[in-house]
Amino acid sequence: MTESAADLRSPDQLAADTRQELRDLILALADSKRILGIRYADWVLGAPELEANIAASSISQDEWGHSRILYALLKDFGDDPQKLEHERQAADYCSIEALDRPLGTWPEFVVVNAVVDTALSVQLNALAASSYAPLRQRVQKQLEEERFHAGHGAAWLRRLGTASDAARAATQSALEERWPAVIHWFGPDELGAGMKAAGLIDATGAELRNRFFQRARPTIETSGLKTPRLDLDFSVWNTSRRRSNPDGPDPEAVARARGDRNRAFLMD
Amino acid sequence: MTERIYVVFARKNREDPLHHVGSVHASDPELAKVYAWKTYDEERWFEMVVAPQDSFHPVNRSEIPFSIHRDPGSAEGA
Repeated sequence: MTESAADLRSPDQLAADTRQELRDLILALADSKRILGIRYADWVLGAPELEANIAASSISQDEWGHSRILYALLKDFGDDPQKLEHERQAADYCSIEALDRPLGTWPEFVVVNAVVDTALSVQLNALAASSYAPLRQRVQKQLEEERFHAGHGAAWLRRLGTASDAARAATQSALEERWPAVIHWFGPDELGAGMKAAGLIDATGAELRNRFFQRARPTIETSGLKTPRLDLDFSVWNTSRRRSNPDGPDPEAVARARGDRNRAFLMD
Repeated sequence: MTERIYVVFARKNREDPLHHVGSVHASDPELAKVYAWKTYDEERWFEMVVAPQDSFHPVNRSEIPFSIHRDPGSAEGA
């Protein structure tokens, strides 16, 4: 799908509340991918084998590339991408809560790769036929790259889940810890209904969560792991930031996301 | 889990022959595909495939082909 007469070329063609919802969604994806890239980058020299180091490096770069493209899209919504990328504090970030803490162990890396990355891809995939052409045209390449991220996550999850009891227990524990934030990330069941009606996205929160389950559950269970169960609780949910915890990622990650050290070398 | 060597072949254009671009160590074919794609990403490949090295049968030589994993001290092409 490239061009269509029904395409929206500008956010100004949208109702104010729908426009805001779409802007928030793009920012949530951009921030999540930016922080995900940082989490992956921490393992570029620490993965268990050379090929996994190379994969971590490449996947990390993919995520940073995706986030740059998504931030740039927000210019048409009246945002300044430069400020979004380089001038915000942790409490301004709209990244998925499952990435708030660093990935301390390789099983944590694998769980985030297999589950968090998949959640972002499920959300991205729901935009692949979006009526908002500038977004749709940038989603396809990202999804092609995400196919390899998913392959890496699934293969390593299977490997850890079918290795020693200790490896399986560590992986299950990492899964239990990150899972609640992932399934809440799609939001309350009706989230996105306005965007869906406008053809911007093809699924609501409940539908996206279901798609995520359909993809994640077989990967988890064929790896000898158990899909965690829990009730949804949106009592302190912030719809705009798609989070319950107001704090945001750890300050070190945000300083790196902003490029604070890089800026110290800039000269006028 | 057993690691195997997977040999990687690729071509830039549809009309090109597949050629050997390298190899990766992986525990299964799915991981081998990801490792191959991410390791040998110097071109925009039209097609890339991987196969376990031990699935190849030497025709005119006795040793395993694509012997890029030989000891560094051994003679190239020996």
